[in-house]
Amino acid sequence: MARELTSSVSPPRAVEARGGGRAAHPPARSPRRRGARGWLYVLPALAVYLGFAIWPALNTLRLSLLTWDGILPATWAGFGNYVEIFQDSALYEAILHSLVLIIFFSFIPIGVGLLMTALLMGKVRRGMTFFRVVFFLPQVLPLVAVGITWRWLYSDAGVVNQFLDLVGLGAITRAWLGDYQLALVALGLIGTWVMSGLCMMLFLTGAQKIDPSLYEAAKLDGAGSFRQFRHVTLPGVRREITVAGVITTIAALASFDLVFVTTNGGPAGQTNVPGLLVYRLAFNEGDIGGASALAVVLTVIVVAVVSAVRYFTRDES
Amino acid sequence: MRITTPARRELRHALVALGVTAALALTACAGTSSTAGNPAPKVDVSTTIPSDPVTLTLAYTNDPPTKALIDGFTKKHPNVTIKPQMTPFNDYIKSIKLAMSSDAAPDIAQYNPGAMNSLVPAGLILDLGPWSKAYGWNTKFPPASLEVLSSDKSAKQFGTGSLYAVPGGLSVLGVFYNKKIVKEAPKTLAEFEAAMKQAKDAGHTPLSNGALQVGGFHLWNALLNVTGDVADYRSWVYGKQGSTIENPAALKATQMLTDWAKKGYISSSASATADADALASFAKGGSAFLITGNWAASTLETEMGNDVGFFLMPTESADKPANVASGASVAYAISAKSKNPNVAAAFLDYLGSPEAAKIEFDGGFMPVDTKADLGAEGLRGEIATIFSQVAQNNGIVPFPDFASPGMIDKLTPGIQGLINDKMAPDAFLRSLQGSWDAHHGS
Repeated sequence: MARELTSSVSPPRAVEARGGGRAAHPPARSPRRRGARGWLYVLPALAVYLGFAIWPALNTLRLSLLTWDGILPATWAGFGNYVEIFQDSALYEAILHSLVLIIFFSFIPIGVGLLMTALLMGKVRRGMTFFRVVFFLPQVLPLVAVGITWRWLYSDAGVVNQFLDLVGLGAITRAWLGDYQLALVALGLIGTWVMSGLCMMLFLTGAQKIDPSLYEAAKLDGAGSFRQFRHVTLPGVRREITVAGVITTIAALASFDLVFVTTNGGPAGQTNVPGLLVYRLAFNEGDIGGASALAVVLTVIVVAVVSAVRYFTRDES
Repeated sequence: MRITTPARRELRHALVALGVTAALALTACAGTSSTAGNPAPKVDVSTTIPSDPVTLTLAYTNDPPTKALIDGFTKKHPNVTIKPQMTPFNDYIKSIKLAMSSDAAPDIAQYNPGAMNSLVPAGLILDLGPWSKAYGWNTKFPPASLEVLSSDKSAKQFGTGSLYAVPGGLSVLGVFYNKKIVKEAPKTLAEFEAAMKQAKDAGHTPLSNGALQVGGFHLWNALLNVTGDVADYRSWVYGKQGSTIENPAALKATQMLTDWAKKGYISSSASATADADALASFAKGGSAFLITGNWAASTLETEMGNDVGFFLMPTESADKPANVASGASVAYAISAKSKNPNVAAAFLDYLGSPEAAKIEFDGGFMPVDTKADLGAEGLRGEIATIFSQVAQNNGIVPFPDFASPGMIDKLTPGIQGLINDKMAPDAFLRSLQGSWDAHHGS
């Protein structure tokens, strides 16, 4: 307090003039000051982040402990909402579906992305931009539009079945999203289509940063394309693989919009995912507490799985 | 600029202020502390409306007659201005609760059972009983249409207690048929099945259905209307204690739907077909029948001209034609915060007038005044004739998803399970009753 008083008495310029700049200050103050200035720059972003991410998250946590329909006074529920959720078998099915979706949203797109990277690395020059745009397009389109389009493609008389007819596979045609056994796979393949381009873009960007001399050295040592990919490209895009793994896994676990417009959880709940259950609880049943509790559970699952992804793809060096 | 200590102090103050404001703003938004439970204000009920200028706001979702009805009413009462506030349906249910509990609540709001089950207990919409008595709404509107809009104070049991809204247009569920494929409307369930078989044998899709959305349970509902007892069905939908859907009539309807799916009358692809896609497929001549409501009529008339007809789901015997059909209504409630409830009530009264009947009909709904002369021809004339018989017989019943807030999430996947032969009829009914019990208590 005393120090503040003295400082406020002496005008800032006098301080500078007397001490001749930063060097005159006690050494401990300088980083603190810079720290304060740093905070000022961070402030706008921090305010937005606190207001629109942290606060709603804390609020969700609070709501998950209440029984509330959105209008009438809320009553304390404690962990009642959580108990109810864990007793509902629908949750376990939905989580299981999400885990299956990870294969289609994450594993396959990463594989496809790596394959494309291996094929394109340093070979194709002409038409590269066009190629990238085409593959990245699914990322730019709103998932709702993607979903509706795919619903038509997959329908009885849709393009998918027309193609199968054309190549003589007419016997297996069906309304794919309406098929009890295959709806989840059909849905997952839409995710594969959406995510593959993203993965490819990430890996190509990463691969372009690799020092060309490494490839030359590998070539001199007699490594063919496959070994160059295995020992130069793959380690070079390791970080990108982690990033892709995290993004796509979150997309699989927290999927909502795609499922909502294509199958809405059907047929008969075969494609229910936790995000859909949260929506139904909150907006169909007016159970804000239950929906919040489920959202919290979903967050915990996402964090756990993403941590696992990061652990397994961590950089050993 | 360098940060000096006074500036730092200011900064700290600003930070604290910002934090407090943000916290206040956000708590206000989150607002678990609502104005719930306030007793409704005392109103002097009158059927005459003042001649001074009055402005009301009306919140509604995308139902066509609303704006035309507003225009019709304000033409009659030039001193009244009604400002419409349209919100797309999916957002309407979510936003109307907040809008009605805010200080700037709309005077009139389109009624939605999902939203109203928290607005009624919170005392945010008016009990219309006094106006109903003053205007004689009991004789002006079909009794069944008012029944659905009445509930007890907890908004859990319907068809009893106070009236909270008045309809401004009704609808009716039935079967459209393609006259190029089916020569004559079947008169019994057996004839209907035979017509579907014939269509299938001739290489047509017998029945277009959008079981991805509501089409599936509309089909089930139409069957239930003719196999079951209307009183039992009403009690169940209204949430009357001790009601159950696990009864022989419902089992019969469910079994019939399963059989139709097994015989290939309902394709398993229905589970992935949206209502609009089913409608489009039928309109293009892709199928013989489509079960949906009168709201599809104007589209079908435009697309198919004279090749489309309409009938109610037939009963087992031609001697006893169907006199029960499901239908919803577009209805309006008055905010407890309205400063001009008498003017708002006058608008509600206008909805039952013969003039309004024409507007409602032109907007794709069935008129509330069931005796109004509409002079309609073609498909819509056919529907209007069938509807007025049912309405005058008091046979318009609500859709089954009305029975509990989570019911639609049991009905839609349940029907998909039946169509895909993955759910047994009794398990389906048990799942519906589970949702009912959770809401109403077994």
